[in-house]
Amino acid sequence: MFSRIWKHSSRPALAAAPLLAVLLAATACAHAQSPQPKSFPSPVSDSWPTFNGDYSGRRYSALTQINKDNVKSLQLTWAFQTHAPKLKSTPLEVGGILYFTVPDITWAVDAKTGQKIWEFRRPSEGDHLGQRGVAYYNGRVYFGTPDAHIICLDARNGKKLWDVEIADVKFGYYISGAPLIVKDRVIIGTSGDETDIPHFLEALDWETGKTIWKTSALPKPGDPAASTWPNEKSMARGGGSLWMTGTYDPDLNLLYWGSGNPHPVLAGIVRAGDNLYTDCILALNPDTGAIVWSFQASPHDTHDWDAIETPVLFDADFNGKPRKLLAQASRNGYFFVLDRQTGENLLTTPFVKINFAKGIDAKGRPIPNPAKEPQPDGALVEGTANGGTNWMSPSFDPQTKLFYVNAQEGYGFWYLALGEDNLPADHQGGGSVSLVSTSVLLALDYQTGKVVWCRESGPGIGNAGILTTAGHVLFTGDVSGNLLALDPSTGAVLWHSRGGANMSNAPMTYQIDGHQYVLTGVDGVLYAWSLPSD
Amino acid sequence: MESWFGRGWLQPPRKNSDVDVFFATAESLPHTPNPPLECNMNREPQPRPHRPLTHSLCLTFLLALSLSAAARAQSNPMDKEDVKRGNDTFQQSCAICHGTGARGGSGVSLVDSSLVRHDVNGNLIAPVVQEGRPDKGMPAFPTLTASQLSDIAAFLHARIVVTSSVESHGPVGGYQLKRLLTGNIEAGKQFFNGEGKCATCHSPQKDLAGIANKYSPVELESRFLYPPVDLRTATISLPSNQKVSGRLVHLDAFYIAIVDEAGWYRSWPTHAVKVEVEDPLSGHLELLSKYKDKDIHDVFSYLETLK
Repeated sequence: MFSRIWKHSSRPALAAAPLLAVLLAATACAHAQSPQPKSFPSPVSDSWPTFNGDYSGRRYSALTQINKDNVKSLQLTWAFQTHAPKLKSTPLEVGGILYFTVPDITWAVDAKTGQKIWEFRRPSEGDHLGQRGVAYYNGRVYFGTPDAHIICLDARNGKKLWDVEIADVKFGYYISGAPLIVKDRVIIGTSGDETDIPHFLEALDWETGKTIWKTSALPKPGDPAASTWPNEKSMARGGGSLWMTGTYDPDLNLLYWGSGNPHPVLAGIVRAGDNLYTDCILALNPDTGAIVWSFQASPHDTHDWDAIETPVLFDADFNGKPRKLLAQASRNGYFFVLDRQTGENLLTTPFVKINFAKGIDAKGRPIPNPAKEPQPDGALVEGTANGGTNWMSPSFDPQTKLFYVNAQEGYGFWYLALGEDNLPADHQGGGSVSLVSTSVLLALDYQTGKVVWCRESGPGIGNAGILTTAGHVLFTGDVSGNLLALDPSTGAVLWHSRGGANMSNAPMTYQIDGHQYVLTGVDGVLYAWSLPSD
Repeated sequence: MESWFGRGWLQPPRKNSDVDVFFATAESLPHTPNPPLECNMNREPQPRPHRPLTHSLCLTFLLALSLSAAARAQSNPMDKEDVKRGNDTFQQSCAICHGTGARGGSGVSLVDSSLVRHDVNGNLIAPVVQEGRPDKGMPAFPTLTASQLSDIAAFLHARIVVTSSVESHGPVGGYQLKRLLTGNIEAGKQFFNGEGKCATCHSPQKDLAGIANKYSPVELESRFLYPPVDLRTATISLPSNQKVSGRLVHLDAFYIAIVDEAGWYRSWPTHAVKVEVEDPLSGHLELLSKYKDKDIHDVFSYLETLK
């Protein structure tokens, strides 16, 4: 049934490989800053070579030129117009060049001036909902497409080197996440939520695009986790998309990736059980793809509570003991802290007001309240229909030891819709109505989950991610049209500007020739901010 | 699913047509440092004032929702003529193995078939139906005409469309009212007039007369839970002690904007004025934190009688 999804197309001919190697060697020499991230656990600084800056997902930069004292002088340096509806991509900065995407288009842009160097266009069918960025490795740029391909380009000129089909667009698969390079592999998860399908994470060889491993978000028959599904048929199409970018700990050699909701989305009635490995934080061996441990954020999810939010890695004391930690502010409204070596749950606590769960189990997982599952006549659930947060990137600042997340509060009303046969009529199996929602920026104590400070962001929901820096500045946007620089200790506003709409991506920063830049996307425009040169 | 959140229709541009019409008449006031933080620091998390979506946001949201629901209902692919014919043929010849909805029985689910999903106008489906798949136990149907095969293909593609759903609008064709109407009408009436305090602002003989005819059941239910409009007003006390009131357009830490009673847009730095906001919908918000689901179903069943 899904045989096509494993098929790859238009790989480079083997005969071309030697020539390619020569070309790439030349590229690597000319482009000395080949950025396989080595910065964990030390923070990213001059460049921004991965989606999250470094492997940790903290989105914390060591740059200090723009700092708490001078950020009030921040001014616009350049703007780049994509003419796209919404730039969700976090640009990469490597060797003075920015690389970023929207669905079907990838750009290389001069990081100092905003001058376009090249663009690569590839019109495609499929879901054009969003594209969150590229990966860079050894002079090559990698990105996903609305028809679920991974494309490899020559970073010098945007020429296509290979194009590999990851999954079948006819089943609703697409790719919206930015790939992650780990140990010479291009790692990418599948997106897609219009029909009941299985999702997976795949590692490709950086040079050829050949599949090295593929790990399903759903267990195989015989796996102990298979007992969390009522039957093989529901498990085989059980969803669990992996549509955001994961993180990696080189010391533990563990790759961390969040998985999304089970299928069908709202009609849990046909998939009794916890439905592993949907809505999980997965720890995988990047050499084999094997799942080393998993923590399920939302057992038997019936509210679309994707656990794809960044698993943020940092080392810090927990209850007086130094630990290797993983923290996630999850879409279900819970803040989780785990030991990232073992997966042991250290903390589960809500960061917004929610009532879909009736408690926490012994493993630290929320226990869903059946009464708050979608009902044929509707159920009122506290918590926005979009979740307590979503894909907007959080940040952990090792200076303040605070975890920052743009969160959402409100109410939704949830319907279960079954046909005359008492089976879901479609992939959703119901619907939800967002009644009211407001956004708020929260600074959380990672040891307790308690809110240290918060800032009202405005009515409605937004996409803005968060960046913190050693200059003691937090950059983000609210949902009232403001781009913001805040004091990460207190939330006090240090600088703000209006970009013409709400921030649509996560801010990032880099430094070239002694000059620090901060980039923010606002709908289709990328703005570069810096201090006056004089 | 990433689509619920990321779709543009959920986050339309915060454009207010009133603002476009009028030009700003903001009073020039001295700039002072930013105001203190707005939210309650003692939260675990503590309740915070929920602000409704802005007027424009809500209307656009509702419009999108309504249009989308209407469009889905009107464009139900199962209503097309060739699909209906294909359905008839399918039920006669195919459903016994593949199920009436083509989602599988003793035969495979055709909705989940790669061949069907890659078919264009029957180019892949027709040969299989005509020749059968003897190795898999599927008989041939050589007597079906080209037109019938085309109709079967149209039916199967329509089934793929209606069993797919990218967003949470609810099923194609809408919800079944009989499954929504589970409440007790009399209890709903009592809640309306009693605990809910709905009668304080609303009357079944006046503003709610015929309300069940005006909106679809799901629209009516979401509207009484929280109306998708922003009716907030603000009174601005200026440093001169002058007071200006009007419909609230924008309020954040940096500026407040209203359309005053004369119809003019006006804005001020938030820190330079005193602001009092009134929200006529605060009762709806308060009820959201108090409702039991039974209350909602009862009130809904009562409101559905107001035809």
